[in-house]
Amino acid sequence: MIRNSKAKNLLLLICLPALAAAQDLLIKNASVLTVTKGNCQNCDILVTGGKIAEVGKGLRQPANVRVIDATGLYVMPGIIDAHSHIGIDVVNEGTNPVTAEVNVGDALNPLDVSIYRALAGGVTTSHAMHGSANAIGGQCQTIKHRYGTTNPDDLKMAGAPRTIKFALGENPIRTHGESNKIWPATRMGVEQVFRNAFSEARIYMKEWEDHKKGIRKSPPAYSLRMETLADILNGKILIHCHSYRADEILMLMNVLRDFGINKVCFQHVNEGFKVAPELAAFGATASVFADWWAYKFEVYYSTAYNAAILTRNGVVTSINSDSGELIRHLYHEAAKTQRYGDLTDEEALALITINPAIQLGIDKMVGSVEKGKDADLAIFKGHPLSVYAIPQMTIVDGIVRFDIKSDPDDVRVDVNPTEKYSTYFESLEDLDHNACMRGVSELLMQESHAQYLRYRYSKQHQH
Amino acid sequence: MRGLTRFFPVLMWSVSILCPVLLKAQNSDAPKNVSNTYFLKNCTLVSQPGVINRGHSVIIRDGLIAETGPGVRQPFDAQVISCDSLYVYAGFIDPYSNTGITKPENKERPKAKDPGNPPSDVAGIMPDLNAATLFNPSDKSVEEMRSAGFGISHTLPHGLMLPGQSSIFLLGDGPADRMLVRTASAQNFQFEVSRGVYPSTIIGVMAKFRDLFKNASQGLAYEEKYKINPAGLPRPDQSRETKALYPVVSKSVPLYFLAQHTKDVHRAFAMKEELGFDMVLAEVRQGWHYADKIKAQNITTLLSLNIPEPEKKDSTAKTTDVSKEKESFEKKREESRQNYLTQASLFEKKGIRFAFSYKNVKTGDIHKNIRTLIKNGLSESYALAALTTHPATILGISSMAGTVEKGKIANLVITDKPIFDEKSRIKHVFVEGKKYDMASQSKKPEVTKEKADPISGTWSYTVETPETPQKGKIIISKSGEIYKVTVKDETNSATDYEGVDVSGKEKNKLSFYINTSLDGNVKVDFSLSFEDKLFTGSVNAGHLGSYEIKGEKVAKPEN
Repeated sequence: MIRNSKAKNLLLLICLPALAAAQDLLIKNASVLTVTKGNCQNCDILVTGGKIAEVGKGLRQPANVRVIDATGLYVMPGIIDAHSHIGIDVVNEGTNPVTAEVNVGDALNPLDVSIYRALAGGVTTSHAMHGSANAIGGQCQTIKHRYGTTNPDDLKMAGAPRTIKFALGENPIRTHGESNKIWPATRMGVEQVFRNAFSEARIYMKEWEDHKKGIRKSPPAYSLRMETLADILNGKILIHCHSYRADEILMLMNVLRDFGINKVCFQHVNEGFKVAPELAAFGATASVFADWWAYKFEVYYSTAYNAAILTRNGVVTSINSDSGELIRHLYHEAAKTQRYGDLTDEEALALITINPAIQLGIDKMVGSVEKGKDADLAIFKGHPLSVYAIPQMTIVDGIVRFDIKSDPDDVRVDVNPTEKYSTYFESLEDLDHNACMRGVSELLMQESHAQYLRYRYSKQHQH
Repeated sequence: MRGLTRFFPVLMWSVSILCPVLLKAQNSDAPKNVSNTYFLKNCTLVSQPGVINRGHSVIIRDGLIAETGPGVRQPFDAQVISCDSLYVYAGFIDPYSNTGITKPENKERPKAKDPGNPPSDVAGIMPDLNAATLFNPSDKSVEEMRSAGFGISHTLPHGLMLPGQSSIFLLGDGPADRMLVRTASAQNFQFEVSRGVYPSTIIGVMAKFRDLFKNASQGLAYEEKYKINPAGLPRPDQSRETKALYPVVSKSVPLYFLAQHTKDVHRAFAMKEELGFDMVLAEVRQGWHYADKIKAQNITTLLSLNIPEPEKKDSTAKTTDVSKEKESFEKKREESRQNYLTQASLFEKKGIRFAFSYKNVKTGDIHKNIRTLIKNGLSESYALAALTTHPATILGISSMAGTVEKGKIANLVITDKPIFDEKSRIKHVFVEGKKYDMASQSKKPEVTKEKADPISGTWSYTVETPETPQKGKIIISKSGEIYKVTVKDETNSATDYEGVDVSGKEKNKLSFYINTSLDGNVKVDFSLSFEDKLFTGSVNAGHLGSYEIKGEKVAKPEN
């Protein structure tokens, strides 16, 4: 009996692609949308050792490759989401206006079914971000959607630079000023939090320098927070800043200029269209929603033309999800820029491929179908910018992680042995559209709204 | 006062009824100090796992095992226990629990002025706290563990991220200092967060620990330097938090990681690999993914006895109406449960010398759960090793405990059947040569029943609304598996409301709703979670809003 069920478990494990070694692939006869090198009709892609070995017509078929017939199908680079919160157990350490030292990479959750859902939408890489409760939030983690593994480290994308979340406006003000009566209580206060933090970090760096030179006898108290801020000042960590209003966007660029920091990606950036030339001049990039706004006061002034205006002004722009649901159809979100702004196919696809790759500093490895890049590919029936597009297969590092032809009902990697309900109920926490502030309501309300929701739904399920 | 005198006769009466019981309980420990020598005559002696000696006798003298063997002569001064039908084992050793540490009351914390910089005790950073200073031999957990056959506990304080240092205690009933075997034997880490203050998440906890550890590393190095020649040097940091971590940095004590889930195990390894300390994985429930790594790195591992129970089938539910989806869901869940149950046998097969840990298991379930693991492939001798020799080695006390051998401390368990037999009962437990007779089991169900249902009773509640706080009482009673709830509103109407749709399936949680006459017959949902004598939760009154509710148990129900 025991042996029997063990054998079953083993079978189950084998079915999961986690343990599958990267098999060499030949994708044949596809419409390849490379994004950076134009389109190629009736084209083949050879994948060896998890990398794209060749792209071209009539490639010779080596022995021992798996052939995927893509006749009539489109192949595009795996979609990249520059702003999401899937695959992590914690979003906000919302107890202090500056928490640079925390890192969501410490709380990766490879068991999160959302990763599979993202794969089912052609998304191969996402930027798992800290939330926006703090002016300087925690460090984020760029993950590859290697669903099926139980090892959190398997999600980490090797070679991806470190990134950190900043936040402007209402969220940090509400969390700290309004709730805890500490600063920042105003938008001015948010600016001062940055200036203070960076100034403190400079003093800290000087103290350590003095200690190393022997001027200071005892070592200064070690501070992981200051160490992290110092790494930002030294250009080792890319800033991704939650932002809405144009005035604040300009403010942060001024702060960064004053402290010699030149790399920043503004997230949401709904009023980015007002300051597009300034963003371009600074070299800042922008990651936006296609058409999502008015969910709070500071996001009232917005437009679906935002991405197009930013793009036309030379700002490297991406479209992101910030949601475990939206991530499933980012290709539709990108297509909206053709309705609102007439972007070309290539420009629209760049919004969810090479541009987010640039923003995350991983464009040398992913974001386009090019020889030598990671074999992260999404295969579609119908052009991905068409409303009829249906993802067929998603490949990460040469491994097929999603295949619509073998898409089981229950894809959980980890099953709670005493769980009463199925996966749907596990994910109810995400119903709150404002995923950025996940974990903060608990701080503010003690008994969280999310718990309440779960309770309500579990009751409904009982009847 | 008048009330008291009125009840006094009743009190007197109940005392007189109770007295024989009390006297009887005293009697069971009666032959005190007649002699400190015992002779266990003609036993089945399992001197260590796998070594079963029939017809052996044991002499216990002055707290130690004086002699064992087949031909041992009965000393003239010994109390004799005729052992013909009894089994003798070494006293069990618990390497990880909160035994003897009274759980602090759930006091309401004042809201921190600056949640980013809370005081250490609020943040849960208490590495300088030592279980040795908290151990209370009269805490009921000591007697409970002893009754389950345990003679030694390695106990840690209750707490959060850094709850404090463990110490090793004998589970006798002497004063704490007499029972202490070793103080400050380990430091502890838990992925337990402090609500509403820093660190309030596991990422906060991990970052904070890195910070503390690095400070301890450089503090220790600086202190060495200062010791050699303090001239011209500023005094070293005297922060208790960092100093308490010096022994972890210098690897003179291990750091016990409470790591139940597979992700906790991963995170523990990540911290160890990054910072470098001696790690013990404790209370592991789901560690099988890491079995090979644990084996390769020789990581001391304590497996939790908190194993998942099968879902109780609702006999009233229609069995015919099971959808395919539900069927496969249940199948998958059962397969998952198998992984939990076979973990111990998997570890045995890999040759990992694990012990059990007891922080999150009800003491009454220990032997039942070990039997479940044995049914799922764990060998009996390995199970016994996990109770005795393995924890002795892990704690570094195998020269004094863990087996029944001459010269070792006289910690013994005596049973009427082999220990893992379903019908086996513990008759006597010796702790350092002192005999404890186990009371007859007939009374036990009563006790456990009362314990199993901490929700029943009368509770006072307060709901903080923007207007006046709503106060009243909630009366909960249970018959069979069904709860009955009455809510007595004392603020608005002095009306009693019947709780509808009462669901108390989850342990220590209760939800229900009431139909009020307020503001157009508003339905109010309650969702309560109980802990000890307090509860917290939420009430949702539709358009009137959703609020926090809290309350406490009323000592004597009103009549």
